[in-house]
Amino acid sequence: MNGAIEADLLLDYNTDMSVLERQRAHLKYLNPGFDSPLAGFFSDSSMINGGVIDGFLGTDGLNLPMIYGQTTVEGDPRLSISPETMIGTGNFKKRKFDTETKDCDGKKKKILMMNREDEVEEEDEKSKLTEQNNGSTKSIKKMKNKAKKEENSYSNDSSKVTIQKTDYIHVRARRGQATDSHSIAERVRREKISERMKFLQDLVPGCDKITGKAGMLDEIINYVQSLQRQIEFLSMKLAVVNPRPDFDMDDIFAKEVASTPMTVVPSPEMVNSGYSHEMVNSGYSNEMVSSGYLHFNPMQQVDTTSSDPLSSCFNNGQAPSMWDSHVQNLYGSLGV
Amino acid sequence: MASADKTINTDVPEKDVFAIHFLQSLSNLRIQNLFNSPDTTNYRVRKIKKAAYVSMARAAGGTSRLWSRALLRRAAKGNNKIVRFPRRKRKVTWKISSKRRRSDQRAPVVEDAAERLRNLVPGGGGMETSKLMEETAHYIKCLSMQVKVMQCLVDGLSPK
Repeated sequence: MNGAIEADLLLDYNTDMSVLERQRAHLKYLNPGFDSPLAGFFSDSSMINGGVIDGFLGTDGLNLPMIYGQTTVEGDPRLSISPETMIGTGNFKKRKFDTETKDCDGKKKKILMMNREDEVEEEDEKSKLTEQNNGSTKSIKKMKNKAKKEENSYSNDSSKVTIQKTDYIHVRARRGQATDSHSIAERVRREKISERMKFLQDLVPGCDKITGKAGMLDEIINYVQSLQRQIEFLSMKLAVVNPRPDFDMDDIFAKEVASTPMTVVPSPEMVNSGYSHEMVNSGYSNEMVSSGYLHFNPMQQVDTTSSDPLSSCFNNGQAPSMWDSHVQNLYGSLGV
Repeated sequence: MASADKTINTDVPEKDVFAIHFLQSLSNLRIQNLFNSPDTTNYRVRKIKKAAYVSMARAAGGTSRLWSRALLRRAAKGNNKIVRFPRRKRKVTWKISSKRRRSDQRAPVVEDAAERLRNLVPGGGGMETSKLMEETAHYIKCLSMQVKVMQCLVDGLSPK
């Protein structure tokens, strides 16, 4: 009967006792040397294994004779006690007093994880936990998280309330998800990737219907490949285009490059030279044009027909700017 | 995340900038007098293609983008030119191997596609997946701009 009573007591712990008391009781449970009534507890191993304790501790693998006299954790995977294992699991998890979760309904449980090596406050955590214990449901994962927290708080029994501010990123682990620092970083990374995927989805045409990362990524890869092939194809076309008759362009080109930002009043000479109508509207230095168009005259008669669509296609209906003449001059100097 | 787009900056200059750069590179090619008597059209094609990529990289921001840096470096190596790259304020990406080993464990679906993308995007070998996707977005924008410019040129040059 001793075991049954102890089991009931342990069950009641969840609602009545604070976290610290629960920890101590659990330690006593594992270290029978502290408390003599518990020593007899262990002798009755069959009782324990078949008793109600399983509901509370879930110790299917708990072989009491095995852990008699030890403080090992093997038999109790969910309520891990030894501080070494807790500290060993990744980063030392700290908690922050959070007013929101304290006031909240017991339905939601949030665990704030921070990666730092400083001390942590404990009292607020314990009170927060007891409140949550009262209202929340008992799920196995929750027990595990609680147990982990207990271990942390038990090993640092400080009563600091203040939170030392760090410049780490504070991430909330949601309920039912692992609170490992690695998995949190993993989650952040995944969110980053999906955010960029959405951005890419807007860029690539025809990606609205496709859902799922794999299809999207295939589509993106195909699009990039098709763009690169287009460039290659167009460069082939450009190479095939008949070369123009050669003429001296070095000085023309230098002047044109130098005069790009200038705007100018169109001169009648430009009209007379047979430039297209866009040239009249564009701004270009008088001297440059006068020196340039002399060279262009032989070209102009050949190219008047084809220069119009070129500049118009570059403009695409935009307001004509001084860029037109620049492009035209450059284009005329091509002869590729 | 509402502020997502603010963190990703993929602004690309106007089409004019691309056009000017490309035309300049083409006229440079012309000046080299390579097209008077080329052996094969292939040679010209390759030259033009290279000029297109280099001019695109320059128009897109020179060395301020990872992919354009890689492109320019690759092109400079081919020409045996010595190009000076200004030091970037941010830390340069790590070596490939260290990043790759860790990322292989993560979401294999994404990582397989990321691997293929790395082969396509210049300079992708040294980037993490999230950075890779950012660069891909900018690269796509610049590529489409360059394609438009070249299409205009071809349309203008082709005999009616």
